[in-house]
Amino acid sequence: MRPRVDRTDRNTAEIEVLYRQPGAARLLFAAALSGDRGCAQDALQQVFLKAIENGSLSQAINKKAYLFACVRNAVVNDAKLQKQNMPLDIDSAWFSPPDRDYAAEQNLRRALLDLPQEQREVVVLHAWGELTFSEIGDLLGVSLNTAASRYRYALAKLRDAMFAKENSLCRLAMRSNSQSI
Amino acid sequence: MPTRDEEQFAVYLKRFHPIAPEPAPTLRVGDASRRSLSPGTWLAAVAAVVLIGAAIFDIRSSRVVVSNTVRDVAYAERRARFEPFTMRSANAGLATAPSLDKAAVDDLAFRSPTSPFPQGKQSAVAVLSKEKK
Repeated sequence: MRPRVDRTDRNTAEIEVLYRQPGAARLLFAAALSGDRGCAQDALQQVFLKAIENGSLSQAINKKAYLFACVRNAVVNDAKLQKQNMPLDIDSAWFSPPDRDYAAEQNLRRALLDLPQEQREVVVLHAWGELTFSEIGDLLGVSLNTAASRYRYALAKLRDAMFAKENSLCRLAMRSNSQSI
Repeated sequence: MPTRDEEQFAVYLKRFHPIAPEPAPTLRVGDASRRSLSPGTWLAAVAAVVLIGAAIFDIRSSRVVVSNTVRDVAYAERRARFEPFTMRSANAGLATAPSLDKAAVDDLAFRSPTSPFPQGKQSAVAVLSKEKK
């Protein structure tokens, strides 16, 4: 039997902080899995409400990774999200793009959705969720090396997809230079 | 090992900041209401209740006490005002009215047919009635 955890104001406040601060990466993760930001938002709220109700978060050792795992389960178990090839919703952005480059934001979203799911998960978890490959391996039930190699494949595909029609290396170098300036 | 291109591209990707989720309604409403009730707020609420109670008690205690008799008369008057005015009630009122001179009423009701004029004088109506005959 699972030990009962009292719901205290402190627990709720802690959950609220976890919901708001790194919540953007979790929402992105849910959106990347489901393809729909609205469903992702629902899944995220569902996860946090459950965490408040059953107090399971206080028992987790790595809360950050645990919440990503909960979000993943919520999205995967959601019957509505079982549809494949969900069309990209142009109006609902996932990112706040640099230099208000909304075309690039849309390209990135499209490129992410074109990735195989296992690569998409890893790239979002590592690049924006800031989980280590070890944590990602634990979360997805794969080895550290598998997680790392999926990330590399995903990066290469994203780069090709985003800069396919242009001289990608030149453009990338220009963007990097403008950032460093 | 990640190549330089990969690293650069990863840095570029991180410049896209994921959009934050909307605040969860349950978290926002529930916690905000619970947190806003600080001990000071509770104290102020209790003080307000006590003050209102004291004011109500003060108003009640300073109210003028009306005796039963006066209240009954007022009630009867109020009630009488709404009863229909009939001959019976009018007679009863006349009979019991303290300022009424009963003799005067009787005089009006049963006036004798004797002429009120002095001896040798007649009313114009009487003269005219005789002439017609």
